[in-house]
Amino acid sequence: MENDLPRRREAAGLSQGELAEAVGVTRQTINAIERDRYDPSLDLAFKLAAHFECHIEDIFQPDDDEET
Amino acid sequence: MFDTLTPKTDEPGQARRVYYRVVYAILAIAIVGLLAGLVTGREVLGTIIYCGGAWIGSGITFLAPKLTDVPLQDERDTELYNRASGLTLGVLFVLGLSVIPAIYVLEAAGRIEPPPEVTGAILLASGLFLLWGVAYGIVKRR
Repeated sequence: MENDLPRRREAAGLSQGELAEAVGVTRQTINAIERDRYDPSLDLAFKLAAHFECHIEDIFQPDDDEET
Repeated sequence: MFDTLTPKTDEPGQARRVYYRVVYAILAIAIVGLLAGLVTGREVLGTIIYCGGAWIGSGITFLAPKLTDVPLQDERDTELYNRASGLTLGVLFVLGLSVIPAIYVLEAAGRIEPPPEVTGAILLASGLFLLWGVAYGIVKRR
């Protein structure tokens, strides 16, 4: 799953640690999501969307080969 | 506990590092204590140190996440543990499925006589799979 979390986080002027603290996970988890090495749970995706005041699909998009 | 160990100005990452260092240090002391007991002929003392360390380490692992708001472990940690456990069980299952029935058949036919260590390992693996089955059933119904 692709995401534009790094862009949104940097636009908000947040470090990975600050975002992690805001949504209740570790910095390593935010780092893994940004590097497409971990797909967050629905609960965490909702928290991230709420934090950036947008919809989940504004942050996360399925990979091209997953859309079929 | 780890809130009080960590200055308020530090990041949550610091509390997490303290948590892992404390747990690993306790387990390391337990293992070193056991080995030292074996080497010096004080097996009972070594065993007491090991059991104490194992219980304290396990207790901290269980209780610490409940006693602090700092995310010492999160959903990704849980997924990593689950994947590692699944991989371990998968490897054991493939090895066990390919070896254990053959050993049973060959032993029944009188072709081989497995040493007690092999019999013990088979029993241990069988018990592990049985425990996994029970745990799976419990988790499925919760």
